[in-house]
Amino acid sequence: MIAQFVSWLDERLGWRNVWDTIFKRKVPKVNWLYTLGSATLFVVILQGVTGILLTIYYVPSPDQAYNSVQYITNQLPMGWFIRGLHHWGASAMVVLSVLHMLRVIIYGAYKYPREVTWLTGVVLLFVVIGFGFTGYLLPWDQKAYWATTVGTRIAGVFPGLGNWLMRIMRGGDELSGVTLVRFFGTHVWVLPALLATTILVHLYLVIRNGISAMPNRQE
Amino acid sequence: MSEEQKLSRRNFLSLATLAIGGLISTALVIPAIAYILGPTLQSQKTQEWIPLGSTKKIGLSTPTLFKANIQKQTGWIQSDQEISAYCLTEDGRTFLAISNICTHLGCHVRWITEQQSFYCPCHNGIFDKEGNVVSGPPPRPLDRYEVKVENDQLFIKVG
Repeated sequence: MIAQFVSWLDERLGWRNVWDTIFKRKVPKVNWLYTLGSATLFVVILQGVTGILLTIYYVPSPDQAYNSVQYITNQLPMGWFIRGLHHWGASAMVVLSVLHMLRVIIYGAYKYPREVTWLTGVVLLFVVIGFGFTGYLLPWDQKAYWATTVGTRIAGVFPGLGNWLMRIMRGGDELSGVTLVRFFGTHVWVLPALLATTILVHLYLVIRNGISAMPNRQE
Repeated sequence: MSEEQKLSRRNFLSLATLAIGGLISTALVIPAIAYILGPTLQSQKTQEWIPLGSTKKIGLSTPTLFKANIQKQTGWIQSDQEISAYCLTEDGRTFLAISNICTHLGCHVRWITEQQSFYCPCHNGIFDKEGNVVSGPPPRPLDRYEVKVENDQLFIKVG
């Protein structure tokens, strides 16, 4: 009965084909370092889920941001856990992305025909750093405020365009409520959209080209 | 499928993946539910007496509107909330404090002197001066506050 329904559905959706292409594709004999990309993807999903949960209470306004974060951490049941996962997940994200990248470099996996996969990976690394930079301001405590003051000023020393870049990042001369909201908007709308679409392309290419075998001495 | 059949490596690994995935999802979903439901579970109701004003201001057999501010803590926000009550006396000694919140869907009712009735603008609910339903959709009379008088001051119990 259920099997009948499943094949009825499959006849219309063709999902079994998709499933087999993604999960039953042939891979060369590889080692555990080849799981770093999947580990990164897992943390991306974790960050998405915990991030969505945080926005249920977080308010990106200068007079409420800090208090709403304190409320999440200290008043809500398991709020410390959700925030903690998002906080540590952010660091794990950067660490795993870099390790994944090192594996690709060391095994030479960026070569023909996988150059575009590598390039989308570079974009993803920048997006991850953007997430870290914009997310760091959101708790709106002393550390967040001064870290972003320093971070935006670093952009300010870029030759020629620096001052202009700094003003765009801050939304004015000073770090203010305007800065907080644009960092929030970037963190929860712009970067997730960019991340999702780039990951889709990245994964498509991984599946399309297959993963590279480990290089061996004879070649 | 016979019980004798050996668990293949492939089957073992997909079962293990499923089990670990399920465990991780559960470890995330249960805290998430607690986290979302948090504020609904933490309703600490504290009752207190709020002074409304002098009993001398209450007109004989006419509902008079009194307002008072109370401090409310919702989430991380502390705010003043205005409480309104229509006060009424027939003999100057016993007092009635009627809530101005319609029992239908929570709009604010208004005393209309010409019609000697409370009127709710949302769905035309009409109550008499003691808060009993005259016509319209309200299912029950307007709520009443517990009252007490101390040194000619009228207090209502809020919470």
